[in-house]
Amino acid sequence: MRIGAAKESYEADAALFDTRAQRGWLVVLAAALAAFPFVADEYWLYLACLIAINIASATGLNILTGYTGLVSLGQAAFMGLGAYTVAILETTLGTPFVLNLLAGGVVAALGGIVVGIPSLRVKGLYLAISTIAASVIAHFLFANLTLTGGTSGLSVPPARLFGVALDTSFRLYWLIVPVAALMLLAAANLFRTRIGRAFIAIRDRDISAEVLGIPLLRYKLMSFGLSSFYAGVAGGLWAYFFRVVTPESFPLIMSIFFLAAIIVGGMGTILGSILGAVFMTLVPELLKLVVGWLPLSTDMGLVLSPVRTIVFGALIVGFLIFEPHGLAEIWRRVRRYFHLWPFRT
Amino acid sequence: MSIQRRTLMSLAAAATATAFATGPAHAQGEDIVLGGSIPMTGVFAFAGIGINAGISDYVKIVNDAGGIKGRKLRYVPEDTGYKVDASVAAFKKITGANKVNLYYGDSTGFAKTQILMAGASFATEINNPQKYPYQFLVGPDYTEMVVILLKHIAATKPGAKVAFVYSDSEFGRDPIDESRAEAKKLGLTVATEIMTPPGSVDVSGEVIKLRRADPDFTIFHGYVLAPIPEFVTQMKKLGMKSQFMGTFWTMDNSMVMKMGEAAEGFMGVMPFRYHYETDAKAPMLDKIRQMRPEYQSNAYMQGFLTAMLMTEATKRTLDAGKPLNGKNLKAALNSIANFDTGGIIGTPITIKGNSIPVGRIYRADTKTQKMVPASDWITVGK
Repeated sequence: MRIGAAKESYEADAALFDTRAQRGWLVVLAAALAAFPFVADEYWLYLACLIAINIASATGLNILTGYTGLVSLGQAAFMGLGAYTVAILETTLGTPFVLNLLAGGVVAALGGIVVGIPSLRVKGLYLAISTIAASVIAHFLFANLTLTGGTSGLSVPPARLFGVALDTSFRLYWLIVPVAALMLLAAANLFRTRIGRAFIAIRDRDISAEVLGIPLLRYKLMSFGLSSFYAGVAGGLWAYFFRVVTPESFPLIMSIFFLAAIIVGGMGTILGSILGAVFMTLVPELLKLVVGWLPLSTDMGLVLSPVRTIVFGALIVGFLIFEPHGLAEIWRRVRRYFHLWPFRT
Repeated sequence: MSIQRRTLMSLAAAATATAFATGPAHAQGEDIVLGGSIPMTGVFAFAGIGINAGISDYVKIVNDAGGIKGRKLRYVPEDTGYKVDASVAAFKKITGANKVNLYYGDSTGFAKTQILMAGASFATEINNPQKYPYQFLVGPDYTEMVVILLKHIAATKPGAKVAFVYSDSEFGRDPIDESRAEAKKLGLTVATEIMTPPGSVDVSGEVIKLRRADPDFTIFHGYVLAPIPEFVTQMKKLGMKSQFMGTFWTMDNSMVMKMGEAAEGFMGVMPFRYHYETDAKAPMLDKIRQMRPEYQSNAYMQGFLTAMLMTEATKRTLDAGKPLNGKNLKAALNSIANFDTGGIIGTPITIKGNSIPVGRIYRADTKTQKMVPASDWITVGK
């Protein structure tokens, strides 16, 4: 709680952004995001789009795992469902991309609800294993249906907006980043509603939640559905971004990637999804840049390649040990420090 | 693990944008850039490291000899970890920071770019100049590899029974349909086709199926090593006399020798000579051994030859006074006829389309721990 921010109504107290400074910084951030494509090169634009997609999907997983306490390793499979839905709609019907993305989200959400059914009986690691089973089934379907193009997958034509093909990172940025921002805003608002609070209650103690009048089945499935909807839309964006979808585009390791992202970023916080996805996507690339700056011969660079992977792994382990609440907690501490600056806590 | 066209098309979109930047003719004296998304870590690192060394060595040879028409050839690799997103990121990074003329991708794709491209994939789909106008395969495509094997089989034992054992992946399924038809044309019988789930370890069920079919030749495709040794050992235990065969990614000498005793007599198709081979017509191998006396994999040879062919195409384009874009470079590449690779491939090559449909059958000799030639160079053609 910061000083000088007295609230006079419940609305003000529950507001998403409660201080003038916060709103000011948001405007700055929005301006920076809008200006970014004009100053960044292809490479950074590409990374920005990739990060935005990962943020969207990580946020979805955070709703399920971070807020509702249901561990899932099926996020990649749900992204696959969304991506394939978009690819199939785009190639066969050629419907507008907004519709395709929504359809991708809905199909993934339905898949998520089905996969979520065992969650009423099993929890924790058991649930994680049952979601792995789901992703194996999804992979099998992707690889063996004629609709999905078998093992060679589907090529996706670019999304079109008013006749303009969104076929470069620059153009896709204007689709991907706003969609991701919208999804973030929706997720943040979700936890100001009864539904979001029910999720948190289930995470904290599901039996107590039920005693309090929260139907577990309904809310657990809702959480699965919402989370998969996010994954599906992210998968759809992924399909438009990479323009090819194959069964091997969404491996199990990708689900682990998202789980790692929310753990590193901070479970049960929206900021955690953002920071985690940024960290997991950007740090390997930054490490490459750093190694690139070192005055080394190419052979030496080759020797250092595995070292980079090890450093990345060590960073993750380090965060888990020294900051179990994730990057979001570090962020909060830094903020607190500046709120009181020049005084110390 | 598979080697397929994962990033196919995925780059096409953004790559078209870069194409405009790289399209115009370069001023004289500017470096010629060979970019590379190379999997130096991850599951495919065993190949990526070889590819990287091969390209670097040939680039060094070119530059030591004064470059391409006085212009330096610069190799800019980036590790991808064999991940699609990292591979595309590497591509964007390299093409963003350099005027790239040539590119090596760790899967395939980057189609439509105005850059001459090759990669580690031999996917049959790429062997289509209409669909992939700026791309080429350094060697035969997977179907052509199997056809080379079938041709050899038809020549040594007409009417033989053949079995295909392949993995359930894009890589594994790639040549099967066309090969089945080709086997028929060559008068061979396809006794059985067995598809194994990716990463399967226990193959006893499949072995029984294979035993029932009793093929004279068993062709494995879509694997690097496992589960081939398992198949071979179990089949030999059952007293089966089938001749086992593999395709390019299985055929590296150290890879085959990892099978231990089961390796004896294992055959397969290789488009390149092995590092240790000595032949009067292979001076380039002497040169390679001077640079690297220790054994180099078939991936090294693939990288080396890729750089050689790209250099040749660049030279021919510059000779014609044309700008170095994908169209001109590919046309120059397709003008290569009866080209001597210095013995990397033991026969002069002609690149008509997107592939080099040449290969030779090698057989494993466990006593010397070496793959030895078992046929002459076989050319197939579409």
